[in-house]
Amino acid sequence: MWGETELRRIAEEALRQADGDSAEAVIVARTGSLTRFANAAIHQNVSAVEAGLRVRVVRGTRVATQATDRLDAEGIAAVARSASELAKIVPENPHFGGLPRPRPIAPAPSSFVERTATASALDRAKAVKRICDPAKAQRLRAAGFVATNVQEVAVASTLGTWAYSPETTSEVQVAAIGDAGSAFAHRVSLDFGTLDVSGAAEEAIAKAARAQGPLDLTPGEHEVILEPYAVRDIVAFLGQQLTGLAVEEGRSFVAGRLGQKITGPVTLVDDPFDGDGLARAFDFEGQPSDRIALIEDGIARAVVYDSATAHRTGNRNTGHALFPNAFQPAAAMHLRLEPGTRSREELIRGVRRGVLVTRFWYTRWVHQLRTVVTGMTRDGTFAIEDGEIAYPVKNFRFTQSYHEALAGTRDIGRDLALLLPAESFGIQASSQRVPAIHLASFNFTGATAY
Amino acid sequence: MTWRHERDLARRALDTARTRGASYADVRFVRRATEAALVKNGRIENVDRGDTAGFGVRAIADGAWGFAASQLATAEEAQRVAALAVEIAKASAITKLADVHLAELAPAVATYETPVKTDPFALAFEERIGLIVAAEEALRAQPGLRTTRARYAIQREEKLFLSTEGADIAQVLTECGGGIAAEATGNGELQIRTYPDGLRFQNAGGWECLSEWDLTMNAPRVAEEAVALLSARTCPQDVRTTVILTGNQLSLQCHESCGHPIELDRALGTEAAFAGTSFLTTEMLGSFRYGSDEINIRIDSTSPRGLGTFGFDDEGVPGSEGWAIKDGTFVGYLMSRETAAALGMASNGTMRADGWSCLPLIRMTNVSVMPGRAGTLDDLIADTDDGILMDTNRSWSIDDRRLNFQFGTEVGWEITKGRRGDMIRNPTYTGVTPEFWGSCDAVCSEGEWVMWGTPNCGKGQPGQAAHTGHGAAPARFRGVRVGVVR
Repeated sequence: MWGETELRRIAEEALRQADGDSAEAVIVARTGSLTRFANAAIHQNVSAVEAGLRVRVVRGTRVATQATDRLDAEGIAAVARSASELAKIVPENPHFGGLPRPRPIAPAPSSFVERTATASALDRAKAVKRICDPAKAQRLRAAGFVATNVQEVAVASTLGTWAYSPETTSEVQVAAIGDAGSAFAHRVSLDFGTLDVSGAAEEAIAKAARAQGPLDLTPGEHEVILEPYAVRDIVAFLGQQLTGLAVEEGRSFVAGRLGQKITGPVTLVDDPFDGDGLARAFDFEGQPSDRIALIEDGIARAVVYDSATAHRTGNRNTGHALFPNAFQPAAAMHLRLEPGTRSREELIRGVRRGVLVTRFWYTRWVHQLRTVVTGMTRDGTFAIEDGEIAYPVKNFRFTQSYHEALAGTRDIGRDLALLLPAESFGIQASSQRVPAIHLASFNFTGATAY
Repeated sequence: MTWRHERDLARRALDTARTRGASYADVRFVRRATEAALVKNGRIENVDRGDTAGFGVRAIADGAWGFAASQLATAEEAQRVAALAVEIAKASAITKLADVHLAELAPAVATYETPVKTDPFALAFEERIGLIVAAEEALRAQPGLRTTRARYAIQREEKLFLSTEGADIAQVLTECGGGIAAEATGNGELQIRTYPDGLRFQNAGGWECLSEWDLTMNAPRVAEEAVALLSARTCPQDVRTTVILTGNQLSLQCHESCGHPIELDRALGTEAAFAGTSFLTTEMLGSFRYGSDEINIRIDSTSPRGLGTFGFDDEGVPGSEGWAIKDGTFVGYLMSRETAAALGMASNGTMRADGWSCLPLIRMTNVSVMPGRAGTLDDLIADTDDGILMDTNRSWSIDDRRLNFQFGTEVGWEITKGRRGDMIRNPTYTGVTPEFWGSCDAVCSEGEWVMWGTPNCGKGQPGQAAHTGHGAAPARFRGVRVGVVR
């Protein structure tokens, strides 16, 4: 780890050398270690130390950024100089409102656990063995990964901004694969010592045993129970549209509908202070992140903003800037779909005829404005009959409006799963906590032969 | 770049790896410079430069793999990282079922550089930004647009590869791309048209790769089509008809439903938990009927302008050319040294890593649908009684064995009695890979063939983005299921 003192020194040195009206430095330093296994053996096992400095220089309404991972004196000087030179010749952006001024950042629960930061390759390999051995005993092939990550995020500006957050995550994903069916499980913990590796293995192995020999089930509208791994996808896609930019560009399903009923009885919040998630109280501009109710009991309430979009559209900056990029300046990074009261088994018991979906795969927009998404089911799809999991079924393709699916929310699970989306720009920017849900209808538009 | 300092560090790292017990090790130093700019709605949305450099060490010890990487180019760090790679390999070995075996390779001492007419980094910045400012301005001349964008991206990657087998390879790879996009909203619709292929078009080469497309001249047509889509007819729902795909859509169809399933790591199950496996299992090699006789798909890392064109892959295997699909039959995989050895073959050089911090994986090089004999696109339309022409990808999804797919394109046009008719909005089509390619009865000729590119192909954990090339010309498919948006 670099530590707050060293990252602050680097940031301040970059800002000192920047030549402009104002400047900002963002540093993300990571040590990412991931042990990957397939066919019941480790086949890829990596560890990388990375730290990147991104300098944004402002001259009037001219703005330029330059990134480097050379953090010695020469590298810091070079990146500051290059961004400064570029800022002199970049055409003006008359809509730019300046770098955000510093605001007080409320304390958030710590997201750093020493035990994760010190986990070794052997620790991860032993965890893998705790998955592969029981899978082999059940004549299943295990595949997946065990990972530990240490990340430090620091933001500084010549206006006086300073924000720093050290973070750790550990993660296990397991696919248990038989000759005629597979199943999946996923666990995340900030603390590698409490990462439920055995629980993930048991879940995947037990479900895979039931998933063998799937039968045909006719595609069409089916009542569904979605496990949290599938619900995560819905939350992520809707989250993309719950931003000020999506509203400005006319591609959000809540544009012009704030205050209106848009789903069934679900509440979706972005909570940077959620101590059971990956808490971080500030965004990648060093602004305090607000806790925001995006959808409240089905009513669209709010969207999130970064400073530039907020300025341009005349809205309040909610402190949700992502790591600087051209296409998605802001995002809800701590999404939580509020839980209900039912256990998973109780949810299943509430379905007379329906489908249990473990997870979705390769989901893509078909029609953003209507939140229509297509994708596949994967790794454990089952028919439910009379409140019981009856038999495995072959995987479906679906084409479904996600927010319209939530309009048919019948029940929500009580247990929240902490899940991490794939990294974005090499950064673990966000986490999600989601329950299983029971939906009245989901549109399956095709099926596979497996 | 002379690489003198890095070569010294690489040798120290290889020494350390050997001393710590590695039976094989390689070191890659990578330096990547990038610049991207986006103009949106008349404002400079983003000008972003990047410069990243570091090295990764791959080692086999106790018969298993380890990999470690760092950005600190010092002797101490090179030795620490090499020792860590070996330590990780030894940890991997506790689950080992068999020793890693690599296919034989004659170690190369060589250099390679992408042919470049106009070095994009040597151009004045004003010239680069000027091109997209003018193109975006030309889009805005069209009334009724909500969002207009123009973008360019340039990249130069310098790589040094040394191995314990004696390889010493230095390469310089240059890429350039961009495009324009116009969006219109209304009537509950958001419609987009882009040129030449989303904002993601990219080729290996210099500034000519972008400037030759003449974005400004094409902007009025693109803008007009985006607005026209708002009032266009909706795609017919759930019918079977003839579909003609333009070259850029066919290139992505090839990427998803041929390029990925011919990755041998997928076929051998090592991507099973994430990217998935492949319906093209090893016993099918050489005999499986993948498509019609019209279908010839080439694996080629030597094609001019291809994003998968290089001198050597990231295992030091020289670039090569061969067939994936020949006259409709599946005949070739994308392979690494390890996976090729599993089939008793030699690697065809497809291992690439996303920068210095990532492990090389089997990635598509240039997987291209070769031209046929159907003449021009106009000829093909004239030869088609009834169907839909679909252009430029907007949505793509395929299952984890690469069989069941569904694609949407930005625009379609009805084809009636050999003529292009009314515009169609929200076109989608779906199918099953071998049935779909089996329904192809015509591929346009060489004059319509373009080397397209996919600069954002995701694979691996941790995730990596690869730049892959896909040459394609328009092609016709019969009896395709069309229109599945509810």
